[in-house]
Amino acid sequence: DALLGCHRSYRSRPTHGIGKFKYLLPKEALKKRKEKVQMKEISAGTEYQYGDVNIQMTSYDLCLVEHFAQYVHRLCNRLSIRVNESYAMPTKTNEMLFLEERGSKMQLDAVLTTHQRVVQIRGLSSTFAPILLEIIQSNQPEGVHLLMKQHTEADFKSRLKSRPELEELLAQMS
Amino acid sequence: TAAARRPWKLFGAMCLLRLPRITQPLEKEEEEMAALMEQIELEKSHYSDHEIRKLEEEERLKRRKESLYDEDEAHGKTVIMAQDLEEKWEQKFLQFKAAPQITDADKSNDRTSLNRKLDSNLMLLVKQKIGNQELWLLPQVEWQPGETLRSTAERAMASFLGDHIQAKVLGNAPYGIYKYKFPKAIRTEDNVGAKVFFFKAFLQSSDFPQAELKADYLWVTKKELGDYLKSEYLKKVNRFLLD
Repeated sequence: DALLGCHRSYRSRPTHGIGKFKYLLPKEALKKRKEKVQMKEISAGTEYQYGDVNIQMTSYDLCLVEHFAQYVHRLCNRLSIRVNESYAMPTKTNEMLFLEERGSKMQLDAVLTTHQRVVQIRGLSSTFAPILLEIIQSNQPEGVHLLMKQHTEADFKSRLKSRPELEELLAQMS
Repeated sequence: TAAARRPWKLFGAMCLLRLPRITQPLEKEEEEMAALMEQIELEKSHYSDHEIRKLEEEERLKRRKESLYDEDEAHGKTVIMAQDLEEKWEQKFLQFKAAPQITDADKSNDRTSLNRKLDSNLMLLVKQKIGNQELWLLPQVEWQPGETLRSTAERAMASFLGDHIQAKVLGNAPYGIYKYKFPKAIRTEDNVGAKVFFFKAFLQSSDFPQAELKADYLWVTKKELGDYLKSEYLKKVNRFLLD
């Protein structure tokens, strides 16, 4: 009896299901596969507000780029700038072959990987933008390229992969 | 008219910054921390491909010496050993010479060159004649009605450095303002004093033909500004300078 006197609320006990709460929460809608493209706003006037701005950081050194991206993200959080997304672009691998011609041709291989991180920002007022740019530029580490540009559809599409089979089928249908 | 009532003269001045090229040297605590973290990472990390290959080859060499087997030669990885590769890389590394970090600090404080103090911001100071005195100021030019203040500042920069400078002006809004009243001798009803609006710009290209500069010029860091600028002016300028 001491073994059966545990606190497990079995189905016959009146306290069965006492800790359940998920039925009380509102139901989440299932996520669609295709996301909405963009919502751009540039309101002209005395108070400029940039729409979506992409800050792209590229470098050969992975740790450096990641840490810098984290730093930029936290900086925007502290300055209460809304950050939409912060994602990474796929890395590009470059193979370098040195052809030294001193009599015998030598080929030394080096494999370099280029990493890219993007932080997307919305709601940047134009009075504050140059200050932010200055802060980021003066804190840039060595070997990291910085690029700030407005978000376009081409940027969005470069993240997506094309499906050749689907395109073939669509072409067949139409 | 409205313009005649304003007794202030307006000037637009440009603060041209050259961004630092190298990171500042780490403090003592930062260095200790970095060394500690590196050691922790080293001890926690796994072996890489190259290191595994090196260990295997060392073991094979040992076995060969002890037992004189010739089996391993058939596998044929003795063409290039990992140890040889390492030695080759080390030699190459020794051949590489990094550029000196303290370049013109050796040159006895030559403040007119852009190459000094590669780890901090450098600003342009020009000697200008105002009233009767020759003062060290940020390059400024008087505002003419009908042009924006930003173009005044750009004109100031162009007048001192030549037309084709690759500088990026930050934004249309001024960064700071300094106003002063003229001494009573020159004061009339129209000209009580002057207001100087400061703009900031970043120098994009690393060097430009320095022969075009007409007046005396200096590139100074924030700390050295105190040697040249007057105290009131310096206070207002320091407000918008990051370090």
